[in-house]
Amino acid sequence: MEQILQQLPEFFSPINIRMLVEAMGVTIALTFFGCGLGFLFAFFIVFARQTPGHWALPLRAAAIFYVEIFRRVPFLVTSYLVLFFIAAIIKNASLFAIALIAIFIYATAYTADIIRGGFESVPRTQIEAAQAMNFGRWRTLIHVIIPQSWPVILPPAMVFMVAFVKDTALVSQLGVFELAFRGRELNNHGFSGILVFTTIALLYFVISYPLTRFGQWLEKRLATPRSQKSQRKLR
Amino acid sequence: MAESLRLRNAREGPLPTLLLINGKAVGPGYGPTADHRDLSYTFQFNVIFAHLPEFLQGAALTLGLALAGFWGGAPFALLLAFARTSGSKWIKRLAGGYVTFITNTPVLIHIWFLFYGLGDLGILLGKYTAVIIGLMAATSAYGCEIMRGGFLSVRRSEIEAAETLGFSRLQTVWYVIVPHIVKTVYPALANYFIVLTLSTSLAMIVGGEELLGTAFNVASENYRHLEAVIVAAGLYVVITFAVSLSLALVGRWAFRVKAKIF
Repeated sequence: MEQILQQLPEFFSPINIRMLVEAMGVTIALTFFGCGLGFLFAFFIVFARQTPGHWALPLRAAAIFYVEIFRRVPFLVTSYLVLFFIAAIIKNASLFAIALIAIFIYATAYTADIIRGGFESVPRTQIEAAQAMNFGRWRTLIHVIIPQSWPVILPPAMVFMVAFVKDTALVSQLGVFELAFRGRELNNHGFSGILVFTTIALLYFVISYPLTRFGQWLEKRLATPRSQKSQRKLR
Repeated sequence: MAESLRLRNAREGPLPTLLLINGKAVGPGYGPTADHRDLSYTFQFNVIFAHLPEFLQGAALTLGLALAGFWGGAPFALLLAFARTSGSKWIKRLAGGYVTFITNTPVLIHIWFLFYGLGDLGILLGKYTAVIIGLMAATSAYGCEIMRGGFLSVRRSEIEAAETLGFSRLQTVWYVIVPHIVKTVYPALANYFIVLTLSTSLAMIVGGEELLGTAFNVASENYRHLEAVIVAAGLYVVITFAVSLSLALVGRWAFRVKAKIF
């Protein structure tokens, strides 16, 4: 305990504080951009998955395989896969970009299931009415399905993103300079493990808790009876 | 020299090797060209398949860690769920604070805290102990939330009726609450168990030799990290399918919970 009190002034030096704040920024940037891009791309994956016609069977199979496989692989394994794939092809790729791609792949897979649940919650009659009015598939998606399904899609997607803030700690293993990496670095420099990791945990809490509360508020705000149906799947 | 090595790799080995993306043709009759954008990578899965028994041992350890984490944390999850629903005000706040803290911080930080941080207090945990305790903490928090949702969904009148009939606390739980909530709590807990199985890969970070750790161990002798991690990913998919299948079957037969496997 005395050791921790001794280390406090050195631990909270301006350099360390600035480094930790930058690391928080990297964590937030990784989460937002990775999950945001993944969310957008997941719409296309679900759209591809629903393409009708025999010719589209490979496309549908690819979409299904992609989602089912990357949901069942741990995020650490996905990050290493992306790292080694890219390292085999491109020399000196940016680690931040590699981490972003790994997050993008993981987020696409998870969000695709959420989006699919949302799309399936739109009543079949709506889609039939759109077909009766000669809407194409893309037009149906934009004008009929998405406006009616986004209250079902957004809360779980938000919950996923908030939970993902914690998973970004794993990309520290790739070498990205985010919060967990800085924590281990400070511990290696000699600061007490209890001091360092409690501080890092509190910083993650500061990022994650407001977003959690926002997600809960969003869920309450957008709760419709329809949204209850989409969450009943055993993985 | 580099070009002749590349030609050699493309043709030898007991199992066929694949060319990933080839910027230029490699083979007899084509002259090698020196190009800094060389995109060829030769997969060599044979050296990884030679170590398959080690991978399977790692997979067994993965399941062991998951089971230890889950069943170690489940009693605490139940306790915390009780504390949050029917405790006094301060017990509710304490339990709520613990659950909020654990669910808003990464499990990796918990494991590092246990493994590296507790050393200052003289408590030296082994790597697997630290991982299991970290997973138990996570299970207690997330399991508490799942079971609390279940407890809160039982109608108050049923619990009052049980009280009127003189049921003890334990009898109320076993005969009134559990039958009502098992259809919603079981799939949630089963999903959580699968998430837990996947998050045992964190043990590799502190040196554990479960599936991902074994992959890196194997790759450290032949530098085929990409192939090793691909095999590990494939085994994770297989493990997840097996676990979700058995959980769905147990659900159908023991609890009559109709859950989809896919």
